Order: sequence, then structure tokens, then C-alpha cells
Amino acid sequence: MRKTTIAVLFILATMVALQVACRKADSISPDDNPDSEWLSGGSQTAFDQGGGAFSHAFASLPANLVRIHEIGDGQFNATFVSAPAPLNPGLGPVFNNVSCGSCHVADGRGKVPGVGESAANMLFRLSIPGEGEHGNPVPVPGYGDQLQSRALLGKPREGDIAITYTETTYHFADGATYKLRAPTYTFTALYTTMPGNVMLSPRVAAPIFGLGLLEAISDNTILANADADDKDGDGISGKPNMVWDVLKSQKVLGRFGWKANQPTLLQQVAAAYNGDIGITNFLFPKESSEGQTQFDSDPNSKSYELTDSLLHSVQFYVRSLAVPARRIATDAKVVEGKGLFKSAGCIKCHKADMRTGVDVSLPQVSNQLIHPFTDLLLHDMGAGLADNRPDFLATGTEWRTAPLWGIGLTQKVNGHTNFLHDGRARNLMEAIMWHGGEALSAKNKVNNMSKSERDALVAFVESL
Amino acid sequence: MNTSIKRSIALVLPVTLLALSCSKNDPVNNADNATLKTEVLANISANVCAASYDDMYAKTQELQAAVTTLNTTPTDANLATARTKWKAIRTTWEQSEAWLFGPVESGNIDPRIDTWPVDFNALETILNSSDVLNEAYVDGLDDALKGFHPIEYILWGQNGTKTAAQLKPREKDFLAALTQNLVKLSKEVKDSWTNGYKDQLANAGKGSSEFTTQQAAFVQIADGMAGICGEVADSKLKEPFDQQDPNLEESPFAKNSITDFTNNIKGIMAIYQGNFAADGKGVEDVVRANNLSLDAEIKSKHAAAIAALDAIDKPFGEAIISEQSKVQNAMNKITELAEVLDGKLKPFLVQYTK
Repeated sequence: MRKTTIAVLFILATMVALQVACRKADSISPDDNPDSEWLSGGSQTAFDQGGGAFSHAFASLPANLVRIHEIGDGQFNATFVSAPAPLNPGLGPVFNNVSCGSCHVADGRGKVPGVGESAANMLFRLSIPGEGEHGNPVPVPGYGDQLQSRALLGKPREGDIAITYTETTYHFADGATYKLRAPTYTFTALYTTMPGNVMLSPRVAAPIFGLGLLEAISDNTILANADADDKDGDGISGKPNMVWDVLKSQKVLGRFGWKANQPTLLQQVAAAYNGDIGITNFLFPKESSEGQTQFDSDPNSKSYELTDSLLHSVQFYVRSLAVPARRIATDAKVVEGKGLFKSAGCIKCHKADMRTGVDVSLPQVSNQLIHPFTDLLLHDMGAGLADNRPDFLATGTEWRTAPLWGIGLTQKVNGHTNFLHDGRARNLMEAIMWHGGEALSAKNKVNNMSKSERDALVAFVESL
Repeated sequence: MNTSIKRSIALVLPVTLLALSCSKNDPVNNADNATLKTEVLANISANVCAASYDDMYAKTQELQAAVTTLNTTPTDANLATARTKWKAIRTTWEQSEAWLFGPVESGNIDPRIDTWPVDFNALETILNSSDVLNEAYVDGLDDALKGFHPIEYILWGQNGTKTAAQLKPREKDFLAALTQNLVKLSKEVKDSWTNGYKDQLANAGKGSSEFTTQQAAFVQIADGMAGICGEVADSKLKEPFDQQDPNLEESPFAKNSITDFTNNIKGIMAIYQGNFAADGKGVEDVVRANNLSLDAEIKSKHAAAIAALDAIDKPFGEAIISEQSKVQNAMNKITELAEVLDGKLKPFLVQYTK
């Protein structure tokens, strides 16, 4: 009898322990390891809460790689001018900006233009319905797949976009009000006819730190969270985008960009040089304007405008930017906010913990416990946020979960708090309240929170 | 446990006790330290940073007056005056690059006034066009077509040999418009410091939303000081030097590069000593209250860096070819200064400005 009781007790204890273990697995697990919670980028975390917080190289780079990082830094901020020129020739003929750093100011987040201003830190993707040969969006005849709003003197720019906002007042459950502004985009100054069925997707320049760590996460780790058909019935899908890798000539997992439409940092950087600045390179050797009236065929120009080594140095620069540490994590309000972040379900997509894989070519990014607050997967975000422009497997309502690390430093580094893909949210709470689709239940929970709970939630996100 | 650890504990313990006893027995000293930190931030924000932008705005207006005179009376003497005024603004601006944070960065002012290189093809297109050349026109141009360097190009010419008689009417119009735009942008920076950011920095840890602690403000200041060293040594000096290419030199028309670099490094001492136009409390005072040898080290490294730059007696574009050891020495000395600022001053400030 007694033995049985003990045995039953033992079994019960084991079950409780197991359950605790289970519960731990889906909690914000830095709870289990408070020391790691501060280190958003694992061992590649930078301790700077100033205006340069996004611009630190990994701390543990050897001198030769530090030099490559510096060269990449210089190139990232190099201003291109029209050819021929002794320094940085090749701009345009159509372009969005003159250097990487002029959109990704201080390696951070682009600002949306004010009324009447031209979009300097954002661009507009364009396509017409259908799928290209690799499942890619179909470029618009005469425009390509993005609107270049600037051109060299004497050449017509493709056009511009006027942004207007319609503001609507909403109420939280406790009666407090908040306002959301919905953007409307209108083409202006188009140089040639734009087809009526064009689809347009605004994209703000995203912060570029920590991307080497995100690239080092193995496909399997990301795919382990995928649940495209929501088989577990929790209302959250998590769909991998499969995109075209130009170098490999095959479809691979997409992980960068607002719709996860770029597979690697090299391709992201090379595509941005080509599309945004008009700089050809070995991955994208054709001017984006080829076939358009702005294009000049220069028979003397046979080589690419950006050498392979400089392209790789910029790739390495982006790859080796450290993640800023959290400023506060143990403050009572922040801890309360962390609990709410979890209980509202935000954590289901904005995953706190990821572990990078092993990459022998760069041990600094290998096997790191990082806290990016993203799963790098696509989710339906509802009609309110939809761009209605498919991008490979991403539908018109799907967006990649945006990483939240470092987001609390946006004001400090970039002097604004415009969030979401098109910068429509003017603060973090607006960004939260724009969530819909799979995130509707989380948003509704926030809607039902008291003011002090909402403040705590924002305090937590700001602490990241 | 090995002896060295034992020894270090033996060392650390009394030191810790000393530190504890100091802070316990000497609350006055602590209070003074708090007052001092507040005074330093107040002086730096008002009399170094904001004052530098006030000064720059005043000097851009002087340039504008000189350009007006030059355009109506194109004599070589008036051209020389305009050049002097341009260099005077550069002196202030390059010094202020030692505190390149706040509105200049977040307001994207820096690229709009100091982009290099100049887009010569576009510049020629503009000068040969029939576009109306006014401030609004300049404001709409790309960064590579406005600010300091296109003005420099018109005032000096490609080879630095321009005479007043060679100034064409279109160049005069463009020069006037460029200068007016520079005045406007300088005012923008000045105003954003005067009407807000100055108080943000001064009130760090006392209600400032930009700087929630004084420590954050001091770290930002130290980062600015170390940052400009890196910019000068690793980029402005190193890139033209490594590639042996005078085309990579910034500010080649006025042959003003070495002066620019020297002013960059002088800015470090201005904010360190709290002495831009007049002497006041600076980072120096916090350091000297606690660590005289660090203060001496910063000053000697700084003096060595300035001396190394002064020793280069040819224009930079020539010096990278014919005075290589001097250029290399300047890079070394500036890097040594950066190491002290980043490796010693910053940790010191982190510790003493909590």
C-alpha cells in the first residue's frame, strides 16, 4: 500500500515535472537563462544605446575581417555619380537613391516622406498579374519591378508616388481612443503609360544589423516552425517563401525583405545596387532600365559597375553588423509586458529565441542563441495591411514576421517611430493595432488590455 | 586556485574597501560629482555643440555676402575673400564632425551639405542648360550637386587656378543659389539644436527622452570623439593612401584636405575640454576629478596626432605619393588616439557617469 502511494506520487511528480518542461519549451525561454536575455545577438551583441547603436561590427572579428568590414562600410556609404567620373561612376540612369546609406540611414529604418515630399527612404515594387518563369512577380513593361523615382539629369524619371493618409479613430475596450492612418498611393509624373492592372507594394528601408545571424539560421530551424496549413489549429500558419536564387539557379527558402523574397544577403545587396542605385554587378549585370528610353547603350562599357570584391565587402559589412543589447529587461513593467507579449500570442510569430547553425566560414555567427523576435516566415496579416501584390509564394495579404530586436532604438538612431512595411504606424501601439489576419486574436487581446497593461506591453517592445 | 588569482583578490579587496569607504564617508564628493556631470553636459550642449552650429550659420551668411559681392564685382580680391569665407565654414563644420550625432544625422543634413564626390557631368549639364538656377532648384538636386563641394568647385576650378574673370554668368547664378541653400540647411541644424536637442542633451537623465541617463549622453559623446578618429584614419586618409589615387581625395580643388582632417581632430579636444569658442566645463573635468593619468594620456596622444598631421607639408593628393611615411605616421597616431578614446575614456565614462 505504502509502496504504491510512493510509486503513484513519483509518477505524479514526474508528470508535473514533464509538464513544466513542456510549458518551458513554449515560453519566452530567456526566463530560463536570464543572462542571455540581454544578449539579443548572442555573442555578437553590441552595448551601445546611442545614435550609432546599429553600426557596430561584431566584436570578435580578426583584424583582416575588420578591414573588410571597414571597406564594406565605406562602400555602403559611397555616393555614386554619373559616368564617366574618377570616383564611384555608374549611377542610374534611373535610380531611387545614390548610396546604400542614404536609405538605410545609420544602418537603420527609413523615414516615410512628409506630405509633398518625394519618397527618399522607401521604394515601390511594381508588377502585373501572373508569374514569371521562376514564380517571380511579372515586371511591368516600361517600368520593371520597381518605380525608380529619380533619374540622371536630362533623363526622364519613371515617376513618383503621392501619399495621402485617411485617419480613423478607434477605441480600445476601456474606451481610450487611438488613431490609425491608412495610406493611399497615387502615381504622379509617370513618364509613360502605366497598365491599369498594375500592383504596387510600398517598402520602407529596413534596418540592416543582425542579418548575418539571421542568415546563419539553418533552413531546418526555420521550417520547423512552418505550419502553412495550420495543422495544429492554433490559427497561426507560418509559411516559408520559396524564391529564386540567382547564383544557384534554383528555388530556395527566402528570408530577407518584407515578404521574404530574397534568399541571401549577397543577392539582397546585389539586387539593391542594381534596382535602387542603377549599379550593375555580376549577379545582376543588366541595367534595370534596359529596354526603356532612359537606357544608354555604351559600347565601351563591358565590365560591371561594381567589382565583385566590393560587392562582397558590402555583403560582409551587412553580415557582420552586431545587434544592440537590450537596455532594460528586469524592470517590473518590462517583465509584466513580456508576460503580456506571450499571453496575447505575439510570441507565436515574433519568436524570441532562435539558434543559428554552424557555419565554418564565419565562426562568429555559428551556434548562437539569439533573440530576433521573428520566425522569418510569412503570415496572413489581414486586409488592412495587404499590399495585394503576390511575391513568389507570399500572397497579397502575407508578410514576413518583422524582427523586433533593436526596435526600441529607432527614435534614437533614426529620429522617428514610423513602423510597418510602409511606415504608416506612427508609434509601436499603432503598429500593434494594425495587425489583423492571423494576428487578429492577439490584437483583440491587446484591445482588451487596461492602459497600464498596454503601457507595459509597449515598454517591453521598446526594451528590445 | 593559483597565486595570481589570490594576488588579484588581495589587491581588489582593499581597493573595494577603499572605494566603499570613500563613497560612504564623503557624500559631498558624490554630490559634487553629480553637479559636475550636469554642468559638463550643459556646457557641452550649449557652448560647444549648439555654439558650433550657431557659428556655422553665421559664417554661411558671411559667405553669402562675399558671394554677392563677388558676383557684382568679380575681382580676384573678392574671389579670394569668398574662398576665405568658405574655408572658415569648413573649419567649424569639420570640428563639429567630432560630435556628429543628433539632428545632423537623424535629419540627414550631413549628406545634403557635405557629399563627396561631386557629379561633374551633371554639374556641366546644369551649367549648360537653361534651367532657372535658384535656391528651390538647388534644393531639389541630388546630394552630389549641392553643399560645400560644388561651391568649392566653382570658386577654385578643377585645378584650383580659377580667376574671377573666368567666372561665367551661369556659374555665378549657381554659386549664389548653392550658397543660399547652404545657409538654409545650416539654419535647419542650428534651429533643431537650439529648439530642442540642446536641452535633450543637457537634461540627460533628468527627463530627456533622447538620453534617459547621463551615462548614455557621455557614451554618445565618447563615441562621437572616437568615431571621427576612425573616419579620418581608416577612411579619409587610408583610402586614397592605400590605392595611391589622388582622385579619391575629398576637397581637392581648394587643396584643403589636411586642414579638414586637422579640424576633425581639433574638434575632439574642443568637446573634451568644453572649449569651442570659450572655455567651460568639458569631459576633461570629469576625467581630471578621478584619473589624471588618463587625462594626460588623452592630451598627449591628441597632441601627437595633430603634430603628425601638421608634419605633412604638401597637399594631401601629393603627400600620398611623395610623403608616405608622414601620412602613415598620421594614420598611426590618430589610430592610437582612437584606441585611448574607445578603450579607456569610454569605459571610464561608463563607470563614472552611472
